[in-house]
Amino acid sequence: MSIKQGKHIAIYGKGGIGKSTTTSNISAALANAGYRVIQIGCDPKSDSTTILRGGNDLPTVLDTLREQSKVRLEDISAVGFGGVLCIEAGGPVPGVGCAGRGINAAVEQLQELRVFDEFKPDFVLYDVLGDVVCGGFAVPIRDGLADRAYVVSSSDFMSIFAANNLFKAVNKYAPSGGARLGGIIANSILAAYAPALIDDFAGKTGTHVIGYVPRSLVVAQSELYGKTVIEAAPQSEQAQVYRNLAKYIDENEDSVIPKPLNSPELKKWAREWGDRIFEVETGVVHEMASI
Amino acid sequence: MSHHLEASRNSCALHGALQLFEAIDGVVPVIHSTSGCGVQHYLGVTRLSGGNDTFGSPPVSSSNITQKHVVFGGGSRLREQLKNTVKVVQGELYAIVTGCSTEMVGDDIPAMAREGRDQEWPVIYTNTPGFGGDIHHGYHLALKALIEQLPDILKSREEIPSGLVNIWGIIPNQDPFWRGNLQELGRLLEGIGLVPNLLLGNGQNVASWQQVPGALLNLFISPWGEFPARLLEERYATPSIICEGVPVGNAASILLRRLTDRLELDPIRTEEFITREESRLNQQFARLADSYYRAGFQREFALVGESAQVIGIGEFLVNSFGMLPRTLVITDNPSESIQEALDSRLMAILPGYCTDVLFSEDQSEIHDVVRAGQPGIILGSSLEQEVAVELGVPFLALSFPLFDRIVLERAYAGYRGAAALLEDLGSAMLAGSKYINEAS
Ligand SMILES: Nc1ncnc2c1ncn2[C@@H]1O[C@H](COP(=O)(O)OP(=O)(O)OP(=O)(O)O)[C@@H](O)[C@H]1O
Ligand code: SF4
Ligand SMILES: [Mg+2]
Repeated sequence: MSIKQGKHIAIYGKGGIGKSTTTSNISAALANAGYRVIQIGCDPKSDSTTILRGGNDLPTVLDTLREQSKVRLEDISAVGFGGVLCIEAGGPVPGVGCAGRGINAAVEQLQELRVFDEFKPDFVLYDVLGDVVCGGFAVPIRDGLADRAYVVSSSDFMSIFAANNLFKAVNKYAPSGGARLGGIIANSILAAYAPALIDDFAGKTGTHVIGYVPRSLVVAQSELYGKTVIEAAPQSEQAQVYRNLAKYIDENEDSVIPKPLNSPELKKWAREWGDRIFEVETGVVHEMASI
Repeated sequence: MSHHLEASRNSCALHGALQLFEAIDGVVPVIHSTSGCGVQHYLGVTRLSGGNDTFGSPPVSSSNITQKHVVFGGGSRLREQLKNTVKVVQGELYAIVTGCSTEMVGDDIPAMAREGRDQEWPVIYTNTPGFGGDIHHGYHLALKALIEQLPDILKSREEIPSGLVNIWGIIPNQDPFWRGNLQELGRLLEGIGLVPNLLLGNGQNVASWQQVPGALLNLFISPWGEFPARLLEERYATPSIICEGVPVGNAASILLRRLTDRLELDPIRTEEFITREESRLNQQFARLADSYYRAGFQREFALVGESAQVIGIGEFLVNSFGMLPRTLVITDNPSESIQEALDSRLMAILPGYCTDVLFSEDQSEIHDVVRAGQPGIILGSSLEQEVAVELGVPFLALSFPLFDRIVLERAYAGYRGAAALLEDLGSAMLAGSKYINEAS
């Protein structure tokens, strides 16, 4: 590969946790700050960049590859809000074929097209499907494509579980040139205990939280307009939260190799938090506890 | 995996299924996999078994999938391939077999076969990825497909002869003498009034397979025959008889008497047949005596091959020919329980004699143990020749891979096979013997 153009960042997290929303808003914020940005959806659903493009159709790399032998960059990309170059890897029909291999094939195709040399991005963001289910979905962090991985997580156990799985993958590949972990993006923060829970998990795994994104109606509203918050409500507090995340990713070079918890540790940790939340909700007052 | 294997003699499941299907007239295999799988079957299996392969390589239908089919699924490619195959290649039965890549992706093969059947095409299928098992496993999978699916597709037309016996456990090409061995086994069964169903090679066809359910008995010649025999017992309550090795020489008499007993055949007819065959073989032994003693045929031997060969040939060489089993290597990876059974049987060939028995498919391990035994002659695959050259001892190639011998009709089974084995073994001994050099 030629010398890498720009910072390459992969965003992981449990299905439906807010990866695409968060990634798109970060892309939009980076673009607003004057950077050249590419966002690549590595998800067969191919809806990663929807809110950057006003919901317009965009043929995926794999669909194009299926139909024609020669693929051109203009066939598979669209310029979205703030000049962000939007690309969707795409994938097979659910239940058929191998999506993992699809991600591989799409990324190979992008390299063949020399997208990064042509576009000269400052940032490339990979929005990767849910859990790291197989080797295919580890491609962005495995093959030296991305230098940093971030994980989006809420305070649900399942999203923490998925984050821990990502840590396992990073832990496995980072020593041999794979991506290191930039940190956790806490999303959909609503409950009072949520930041403390995520902070505690970060502490246990040797990582940290780079930002807390509140659950907000503005997000839903902007989504209905087919827009990012940055575009639809630039003055909102929520937009500022995303701008701060973008600024952090831009300015910060910190990264770690996380120390994932093993299954019994994770279960034990979750049970302890279960007890604590129960006590808070039911108003059990411990000695010395400040309320 | 604890260590790597060098030059394994056991190819993949896909190839095992192809071995079976290609040995039945009228069956057209359709490979659903990458293009290399079919080529590898030729390069790694059929070409290495006594030189019987189609010129160049067999023209086999294959979907030759590429990355596109891995990503999006290869079902439609298979559908197209099946359609074209039915159009271009005349066959009575089309058999879909799959390889590693299409199974990894999870293409829905039963659905594709069903679509074919909906078009009134006779299609069976079996999922045979190489990672699922070796050539013996593939042989089993293909048998299972035929036994379970064939009756639903084609209705039997012919009457089933009485006294029909199915013969199982001889894997085409994996036993380079499979054609001849089956023929001789058939001759033996006919000799005592039975009707052999050879099922493979020499004009055996789909109709032969349609007769399988109506057989009186299933006879299996190797541990690999147990599986189909069990399937048939479950489905049709057909009883079976096991003969763990290819019966060579007098072992054939034992088998024939067992069959006569079990099926209540005419014992006089059987004894007459056995007497005729044995006396002929005994005369051949007698004529061989001079060479036997002058060239010192009675020596320690190493024998490397599949279990059916090692048992059958090994027992014959020891019991009837007075040779000494130094090293016996079984290469077909039988299950642990079968290994134990074979082990105790082999140990009993020559009680008190020190025989090394090894179960291995790893060339370097095999060669080490053969070398260490310092045998006076080596019988094995063509791969063992280098050890024979190194030790300066005679060599007879008789197991897979067999790439320096042509085997068209030769058999080592039965009485005639015993004579053929004596001819080949004796010739190898004489060619490598001092006696020749002194005489000249
Ligand atoms: N901070 C937030 N506040 C309110 N709604 C949010 C927030 N973050 C995400 N959402 C909403 O959650 C839903 C799922 O978000 P998104 O599509 O970004 O998730 P995802 O992780 O990309 O999902 P998938 O795994 O399916 O790709 C969307 O409707 C989105 O608007
Ligand atoms: S091992 Fe797999 S890939 Fe190789 S020939 Fe067999 S089926 Fe094909
Ligand atoms: Mg998404």
